[in-house]
Amino acid sequence: MIVYVTRKLLLTIPLLWGVITLIFILVQLSPGDATDRFFTPETPPEVRAMVMEKWGLDQPVGVQYIRMLTNLLSGEFGYSIPQERPVFEIIGEKLPNTIQLSLVTLFFLMGTGVLLGLSQAVRQYSWWDNIVSVVSLFFYSMPTFWLALVLILLFAVKMEALPIAGMTDPVMHAMMTPTEQLWDRLVHMILPGAALGIAGAAGIARYTRASMLEVVQKDYVRTARAKGAAERVVITRHALRNALLPIITLFGLNLPFLFSGSVLVEYIFGWPGMGRVIVDAIFQQDTPLIIACFFVYTLLVVGGNLIADLLYLLVDPRIRLR
Amino acid sequence: MIGFQCCSPRIRGFLFSTLAGLVLVGCKGKDDADAFSNDEFPRDTLVIAYQSDADTLLSVVSQSASDSAIISNLNYPLTDSQFDCRLESLPALAKSWEWSEDGRVISMELRDDIQWSDGVQVTARDIAFTMELVEDPKVASPRISYIQQMVPGKRPLVIDDTHLEWHFTHAYDPVTQMSHISALAIAPEHILRTADRATLRGNVFNREPVVNGLWKLGDWSRGERIVLEPNDRWTGPADQAPKLRRIIFRILPEYATRLMALERGEVDLLEAVQIADADRLRRTHPDIVQHRRGWRFLDYIAWNPLDPEDYKAVNRGVTTGSKVDLAGIKRNRLFGDARVRVALAKAIDVDKLINDLLTSRDTGERYGRPAVGTITPALCDVHNDDIPRLPYDPAAAKRDLAQLGWEDHDGDGILDQDGQPFRFTLMTNSGNPRRAKASVIIQAGLKEIGVDCRIEQIESNTFFERLRKKDFEAALSGWSAGLFVDPKNIWHSGPEYEFNFVSYSNPEVDLLIEEGLREPDPEKAVEMWRRLQALIYQDQPYAFLYWMDEIVAVHKRFQDVDIDILSPINNLHKWWVPADEVKYKR
Repeated sequence: MIVYVTRKLLLTIPLLWGVITLIFILVQLSPGDATDRFFTPETPPEVRAMVMEKWGLDQPVGVQYIRMLTNLLSGEFGYSIPQERPVFEIIGEKLPNTIQLSLVTLFFLMGTGVLLGLSQAVRQYSWWDNIVSVVSLFFYSMPTFWLALVLILLFAVKMEALPIAGMTDPVMHAMMTPTEQLWDRLVHMILPGAALGIAGAAGIARYTRASMLEVVQKDYVRTARAKGAAERVVITRHALRNALLPIITLFGLNLPFLFSGSVLVEYIFGWPGMGRVIVDAIFQQDTPLIIACFFVYTLLVVGGNLIADLLYLLVDPRIRLR
Repeated sequence: MIGFQCCSPRIRGFLFSTLAGLVLVGCKGKDDADAFSNDEFPRDTLVIAYQSDADTLLSVVSQSASDSAIISNLNYPLTDSQFDCRLESLPALAKSWEWSEDGRVISMELRDDIQWSDGVQVTARDIAFTMELVEDPKVASPRISYIQQMVPGKRPLVIDDTHLEWHFTHAYDPVTQMSHISALAIAPEHILRTADRATLRGNVFNREPVVNGLWKLGDWSRGERIVLEPNDRWTGPADQAPKLRRIIFRILPEYATRLMALERGEVDLLEAVQIADADRLRRTHPDIVQHRRGWRFLDYIAWNPLDPEDYKAVNRGVTTGSKVDLAGIKRNRLFGDARVRVALAKAIDVDKLINDLLTSRDTGERYGRPAVGTITPALCDVHNDDIPRLPYDPAAAKRDLAQLGWEDHDGDGILDQDGQPFRFTLMTNSGNPRRAKASVIIQAGLKEIGVDCRIEQIESNTFFERLRKKDFEAALSGWSAGLFVDPKNIWHSGPEYEFNFVSYSNPEVDLLIEEGLREPDPEKAVEMWRRLQALIYQDQPYAFLYWMDEIVAVHKRFQDVDIDILSPINNLHKWWVPADEVKYKR
């Protein structure tokens, strides 16, 4: 396993290089640069030159690229140009918020998706199966932006059951007891989590249903029934465990979608996470921050896939990593 | 039927503790938020919805509207401002000032009772230090132009702790002079003297600012909220002490979310409410009061008189601010001729645009008025109301174009000349529904006279970059008007004025700008500015569309709300809430 993990991690290096190079090229192709905001038409040329030199933007693109790679190799990600703060200080403030939202959403979408898919499979072609299939397809096809606004309108504005946006109550949170604060955070997470996770849950439900229907046809399930095992035991012990194997792969594959989806969700819900940092960095053409954000995202995605591979290994003894 | 249980109690416990652990990250304990509970005034919290977070709390390097909103509340200004047809300075930190006879020196006397929040007195040396920062190229202050008309070494000249003099290279409009010296919030010399000037934007001061204003920074959760609390070490006039418990700037980037938060009561103040939403709020939320800010924003179409391709070819490799020879560049075959621009202006129905886009369906109230220039009508005397607007007259427009040789020779419904159709691309920025709708109305109007206008919506950064590089044929764009007159950036033909997107060049206008900005007599300057507007309107470098009035929605429990053109959150220290209407008692 150690060899497998090491090989996977080594493979991450060319992937990271590719991502960083692509992002660098895209940023270079976009108009202007992050220092534009420092200048007015009256800014003297010598001040402009000094600022450009300070950030290395006076150098040819090739030199900037080599310098960036050299810095990255030495672990130096640099400073955000508009904020003049280390990029990892900025990411460090926001990454926990995005991970928090993404992981809670992941639990939600995996749990809900598996339960729904399972309930459909054991009642194949029933009215329940048909309704869940249609509803799943509906949510699977919904754009996140639209879904998020509808959820806010319905549950926050019309029903007044949940808060509209943010991570916490902006006024009262600081005055709450720790338990109240925990509850406050949980309720603020429901709508963004739902907006981020509903489409994923619908997808998981579809996969689980299909996987379960395939597994229940297998000989070992028939054998279990023939031996007189209770239906509940047949489904949970014999069928479900095997049906969940491909779902574990989806666990890893969902992480990139959660992180990319969080960009929109964080924007709509005013969630102070990485998605907002990336959007702002892109609009401000803040190259060091953009590169660092994508570096971290790539690592998270690779990490997610690696975890999925390892989970696969744990739950299915037939599989050996090579 | 099979019953399912989610999981074993042990796993359930694990899941709950995992979730709880995740959300507990960052939870803080109960803080000392009742600090003001014993105050004699009923206190409440004002929650303001803001689109974007602040970048810095240091005025010398601040750039965005969010920065200014926060900074202006944390700092006591050198002079206060009020606006009634023109900017007027009122005493604040400077309790009095007077001009020398030649109008080149302002002598100021400062209050001696204003302290920084760490107890150190605010002195004239802090002001000199602030200007020193502005002047330092290492700081790269966007306000560096403020000092360009001041005498080196006397920017200002400190006499003693409470007296200083501002020396200008020449006398010019006193309002502009005052705004150049009072627009900056003062930086504490004793805190920032040793700071690295090249990284001021990221200085620790931003997290723990030492302030001298009516409010102090309570909390700044970047990207989420900024909390201001009354400065309990405020040593200035007692009647200016804030009457609210706190102000929270809540960062909500999406307009729809901000609007819904206002409707739900999660925020109390929302700027730039769209007119259709204002109509709905009026019907459904009588507890929300709508205020008008005044004519601050202008939409226009910029016609590029130069051939964009030729301009690009000639200027390849030329850096911003360098001398560009416009004379050698090919004229745009459509907009290079002022008579064509005038004809097109006659085919744009500005009243329809205002009726369709800027008029309340419920009350008929108009939030737009036709524009004749880039000087806001809010500057009552300076704005030239006497300029006769070109009438909306498509027939006349068609006639004028025919006289210039533009007729539909091939019968395809589009005017042409020498086999070339009258076709161009109108560029506008994406994400602005008003401009998107306006461009469609304009396109339809132009089609009526046989002009084929194609609309291109592009991302805002790219849009602005293309404007600066004059890489467009026509662009629907806008300005936020300044409250003192300084038209040089937009209309002067000098190469350094990169906001002159349309390469406008009129020697008489250049001269008026140069002389007007140096004219110390406000009445004479007014005459010059009025003449300037008339000249520019004659040339129609822009199709001037409309000025817009912004709607600001505020919850009605707040009293003495004074929203004006300067800022929706001016004078927040005067706002208060009657005891029986206080919403947040803690």
